[in-house]
Amino acid sequence: MRLSFPYMGPTIVYKKLLELLGHDVVMPPKPNKEIIDLGVKYSPEFACFPFKVITGIYLKLMEKWVDTLVTSGGHGPCRAGYFGEVHKKILQDLGYDVEIIVIDSPHDDYKYFYEVIKRLKGDSSWLQVGRVIKTVYQLTKVLDEIEKKVEILRAYNDKGTINRIWMDAQEEFYQIKNTADIKRIKNKYLNKLAKFDKSIPAEAERYRIGIIGEIYVVLEQSINNQIEEKVNRFGFEVERSQYLTDWIRENIFPFTGKDLEEIEKKGEEFIEADIGGHARSNMGHAIDFKEKGFDGIIHLKPFGCLPELVSQSVADDLSEKYEIPVLSITIDEQTADANVLTRVEAFLDMIKEKDYREVM
Amino acid sequence: MTNLYLGVDIGSVSINIVAIDEENELAFKLYTRNSGNPIELVKEGLTKFKEEIELEEYKIRGVGVTGSGRQLIAYVLGADTVKNEITAHARASTYYHPEAGTIFEIGGQDSKLIIVEDGIAVDFAMNTVCAAGTGSFLDHQAERLGVPIEEFGELALEADRDVRIAGRCTVFAESDMISKQQYGFTKPEIINGLSEALVRNYMNNLVRNRVLEGEYIFQGGVAANIGIKAAFEEEIGAEVIVPEHHDVMGAIGIAMLAKRDVKRSGQESSFRGFDLTRQEFETTSFECEDCANNCEVIKVIADGKIIAVTGDRCGKWSASLIGDSAAAESRSRNKENTAARTAEEENKDFNKTAEELEVDLYKIDPEKEKQVMKELEELEEQEEELEDSDTDDKEDNVYV
Repeated sequence: MRLSFPYMGPTIVYKKLLELLGHDVVMPPKPNKEIIDLGVKYSPEFACFPFKVITGIYLKLMEKWVDTLVTSGGHGPCRAGYFGEVHKKILQDLGYDVEIIVIDSPHDDYKYFYEVIKRLKGDSSWLQVGRVIKTVYQLTKVLDEIEKKVEILRAYNDKGTINRIWMDAQEEFYQIKNTADIKRIKNKYLNKLAKFDKSIPAEAERYRIGIIGEIYVVLEQSINNQIEEKVNRFGFEVERSQYLTDWIRENIFPFTGKDLEEIEKKGEEFIEADIGGHARSNMGHAIDFKEKGFDGIIHLKPFGCLPELVSQSVADDLSEKYEIPVLSITIDEQTADANVLTRVEAFLDMIKEKDYREVM
Repeated sequence: MTNLYLGVDIGSVSINIVAIDEENELAFKLYTRNSGNPIELVKEGLTKFKEEIELEEYKIRGVGVTGSGRQLIAYVLGADTVKNEITAHARASTYYHPEAGTIFEIGGQDSKLIIVEDGIAVDFAMNTVCAAGTGSFLDHQAERLGVPIEEFGELALEADRDVRIAGRCTVFAESDMISKQQYGFTKPEIINGLSEALVRNYMNNLVRNRVLEGEYIFQGGVAANIGIKAAFEEEIGAEVIVPEHHDVMGAIGIAMLAKRDVKRSGQESSFRGFDLTRQEFETTSFECEDCANNCEVIKVIADGKIIAVTGDRCGKWSASLIGDSAAAESRSRNKENTAARTAEEENKDFNKTAEELEVDLYKIDPEKEKQVMKELEELEEQEEELEDSDTDDKEDNVYV
């Protein structure tokens, strides 16, 4: 089996997971203009944007003789649940004979999950699988921890310097063999970042923006017009509703705490039924951000995404009730960078202006 | 010596240059159509400015640039403030009309709605998907009807009957217009119908379910069109004010913001001087292939000398430039950066382990973990038993 997977967020984690299980893993390409164009060309016109990007990635991977793709499923009426099947059909129509293994959440169907894992585990023993998952979880946790720090520091420092550290860290994590390595590299980079701690101003002068939305556009910088860097550029800290750990906890990891459920529960105030995707938990995250003292919410919605379309409409009410400004941005291959920048800048200006009256 | 502040608005359809003094009085105002070469037009504008004003009596203390083409022109001029047009427009109209509650702004390729409370913008919306509801839509139809856009508004007021024209899409509006002409509607009636279609579109796309409150200000290039103004008044049932300098409000706003920023920082303006009208500017771009990010790096060159590099995420290319004219923003950034660097030198304590932050979110439920590991152990045993009893089935076991 020559395996690969869609590119989403820091991909080291999936690669490590599959590699530690003893597979031949091909690293998927990072989405760029060429991949997006390819995906748009071969996807149904009304499919949502993440679907098109993933189509592009798969097609690019076909050039590298990949025969099995591992991807995640979705729950509820969100179309992500059909991604695997439709992609398989598209690839078959184009003459590629591939298999797509869809990992659905163990919380939905334990038995199916078990069978998928049984296939993926190959020759490793179950105890090994348990250990591998734990190591990978450790790695994800550390990556998220560093990224969260980056998202704060980038607001007050030269973006290039901080980005460099973050890029180096990701590269170095590719080499890890065990948990001791993880710890060593983590300390190394957190120390590097700690030197910039002095640049963080006093609490009253800090501004924080929470980013919520569909998981793929929230996690993947290369398709969301680098929204975090744009926000950071104006001296605002950023935190996202979704990090890789969240995805892993939801889809692979069987022994996590209850905090995600609690956040989703908060969202029930605005969306009662589970309409798929992360619509409801996004509303929960928005409220959670407000409670944590955030100054604004940026809501990312891929074009053609049903659950987020619903949450966009509901966000107006949330914004009014909880008194937190919300900016919705629709993302697809047509989104112009200048346009996103203008909106984000105006939104952040608006938040800041509220705080101080000017000298005319 | 009088201090002047320059405001430049690089829009998609027009390029506007204004100069204001300390009292926000206009000393110079220029509205030109953007024919596609913003750098040349700005140079021409500045040349005109030089001719009209006694330069010895004035000093340019600050420069602000706004509009969709702001990034490049900011480098060319050496701007002190680079800001989006929404903030700039809000600033100018709340200065002229402190009681403003709602600002309609319709420009060439975008339309905006800004909601103001106590002189501060609290909410805004911008057209999202297409040109419907913008100046370009009207421009196109005016051309099609053979009416100069300047006369468009007055003609609309001559209409006797109402006609409803589908205004969501420029192309569909055109076919609807042709069929309405066949029904015998006159030109003024059609134009009136188009104006109403534009306002209807604006209301549906931007205002949506927002509650609008007065005063209502209408600005941007399209505000010159009294037909649209009348259509807005009819739609909201209240008077709409068109400010005197409605066409250059963005430029005035950004000049005011530049003045504020320069005063606040207490620094000299980084304006590159009027000599730039004699310089040749050039931009080049390339895709950096050093990593998977594939950043598009843009270089701005003035008379063969690189004055700005931007677009790279890691700072590799922009750091290679020791420029004197980068925007004020990046200058202050660099300062912070050197501060951080000295801090780095001080702190050579590499052995110090970073604080262990155990975030609540990441905690593992130990009960669940024990249970899962136990289940896995059982699984392992079960499978071993299976293997012992029937080795031939091994293949089937692996591939279910």
